[in-house]
Amino acid sequence: MSTVPVTQDDPEQLAAFNARIAAGDQIEAGEWIPQQYRFEALRLIQMHANSEIMGALPEREWIPRAPSLARKMALTAKVQDEVGHGMLLYRVAETLGRPREEMYAELVEGRARFHNVFHYPADTWADVAIIQVFVDGAAMQTQGALRSCSYAPYSRVLKRICYEEDFHIQLGLDVWRALAEGTPAQRAMLQDALNRWWTPIIHFFGMPDKVSPHTEAMLAWRLKVKSNEELRQQFLRRFVPIILEYGLTVPDPGLRYVDAEQRYVYTEPDWDELKRVGRNGGPKSAERLALRQSFYRQHAWVREALGRWSAAAA
Amino acid sequence: MERGRGVTPTSRGGPAPSWIRTLDAPADVWAVFLQARRRDAHVYVGDVHAPDAEMALLLAKENYTRRDPCVNLWVVPAREIRATSGDAAEMFEPATDKSYRFGGSYRQQQRVYRGGYHIAPTEDER
Amino acid sequence: MSAALATIADPAVRAAFREWLLRVADDELMIGHRHSEWTGVGPDIESDVAMSSIAQEELGHARLIYEQIAADEPGGVDRLAFDRPPAEFRNAVLLEQPNQGWEFSIVRLALYEAFEGHRLALLARCGHEPVASLAATLGREERYHGLFAGTWLERLAGPPAPQSRGQTQSGDARARVQAALEAAWPYALGFFETTEADGTLLRAGLLGESAERQREAWEASVRPLLERCGLNVPAAEPSLGGRRGVHTPDLTQMHTEMTEVWRSDPEARW
Repeated sequence: MSTVPVTQDDPEQLAAFNARIAAGDQIEAGEWIPQQYRFEALRLIQMHANSEIMGALPEREWIPRAPSLARKMALTAKVQDEVGHGMLLYRVAETLGRPREEMYAELVEGRARFHNVFHYPADTWADVAIIQVFVDGAAMQTQGALRSCSYAPYSRVLKRICYEEDFHIQLGLDVWRALAEGTPAQRAMLQDALNRWWTPIIHFFGMPDKVSPHTEAMLAWRLKVKSNEELRQQFLRRFVPIILEYGLTVPDPGLRYVDAEQRYVYTEPDWDELKRVGRNGGPKSAERLALRQSFYRQHAWVREALGRWSAAAA
Repeated sequence: MERGRGVTPTSRGGPAPSWIRTLDAPADVWAVFLQARRRDAHVYVGDVHAPDAEMALLLAKENYTRRDPCVNLWVVPAREIRATSGDAAEMFEPATDKSYRFGGSYRQQQRVYRGGYHIAPTEDER
Repeated sequence: MSAALATIADPAVRAAFREWLLRVADDELMIGHRHSEWTGVGPDIESDVAMSSIAQEELGHARLIYEQIAADEPGGVDRLAFDRPPAEFRNAVLLEQPNQGWEFSIVRLALYEAFEGHRLALLARCGHEPVASLAATLGREERYHGLFAGTWLERLAGPPAPQSRGQTQSGDARARVQAALEAAWPYALGFFETTEADGTLLRAGLLGESAERQREAWEASVRPLLERCGLNVPAAEPSLGGRRGVHTPDLTQMHTEMTEVWRSDPEARW
């Protein structure tokens, strides 16, 4: 998708729009927006929606294998919430002008992006605990910050999403606790899962922001509220203590808190891996997209049947 | 329905009055209104995609009332909603003194306007 | 002894009632497990969410009934759900079958809800507490399940609402649904398979209706729905075994997967 608008926005409207945002105003669906704003907001929200839909896949692998009825029900409810978030977010993206069907088709055909973390395997039951505590915890940082973004429909949906994600983290901590305080085998499984997920989670927040016109525009338009590094630090402050509290090891031996700088320093991760994964080149990208495509094709006749039904009933 | 100001614009053809708009939603999007308890008003909570009203109600139940109390749901095709336009917001802001509508002070009046639909109790009512 | 069973003096009746409750719980566990597999991969996002709620409620029902049985059996509900071998399960075979397409799951749910609604009503009238009250409570949730199944079935297979110009669903869509119905029907008749327990419970007055009478009531409620959808009611011999613990490789496969983590350490807290 080109970043260069086809025609220029009306300069007066653009100036008025920018002034409103600068004054702290929020934009509602249907109002005039600059083409670049539409493009950026759509990209941001669509990627979020895609991530909820793809994010369901690693965890749903464990629904059939959940080791108690209580865990089975809780995990099903949690994954259901993610699917529901996708529903809410696609509707927000729709208000910016793209039909849901088009965005969904683009996703399953591998032409759209979703967050790096969901390109990785969920190899053991303990991965469920890591995903629910640390992956959802990471997402909470970004989503929490964006509650004050400039696009009101997205801001409202994020409030609902953050409210539900809070439950997920609590559920995740319950699984985490059972494993961390369990048998040696359970603790080992948990530490192993944490080791495998650590880098993708650090990657999740993105590279430290470059000073660029793009970043400046996103901040000015409040489609970006905090910097990548701020959010990563926020995450580390909240979640590293949990690891230490349960006597587990932070997978990065280079991670430590530097009092003088009031921040965590950590081993610089391989950003090339993030770039590869972002282009749907992660360890599970192909398999998960194939699964989505397979169900999408399987359900084509159902979509057609519903289409005929609503056309005839109109 | 009579022609004139405020008539549903798109159903009669011609340009809509500039203070009225549609929500520009796809045909299969339904707005969902939830009534939490018997005494409450229905409140807009979001939308569902559905092929018809019956399915919209069924889907709304699980998509919007899993954690929220509910005794009743309404659904309506989102594109049937008519709304005032954004630049008509100015009309709703009271420009001149309306204290003749309120028994109490200017402060009370402003509190009501700022507080929206839910009226805060006065000192006497508390 | 558990609350549900303790007050039954006759050991034969007690064993029969335990077996009957196990059928209900196992049915709900199996169909709940299958429905939970739709989470994330349903035909549209909203229906995906709705079906997942149905799954959670079914699993919840299984749990509540296992609690009635296992109140003082060692290991509680998870022992009952995860520790028995496939041959000790009392579910109808239809419910252990995989989700062979959305239409199969919808057909199965429609057939099952008509049966389950009636069964819970019977249980609610059995006069034995606290099971009777529990059954009444569960029945309230089943209503939505039935509405969901029926509404979906109409849209997949049936003619649209009468206000339309009378167009019918595409022959291809209806043919798929009919095929799913033909595949499911013999196994649905397995809902009504009997063992000695049925006779024992009828004589003891805990069960108000014979299996045959239940099957007639079920067919009478299912037929109008199917006909409204332009579907032919199949004529088939029942495929039995589930109520006696005779199951299929589907259950073995499902059971192996379902118990994989639990079996890695049955004594652990998960």
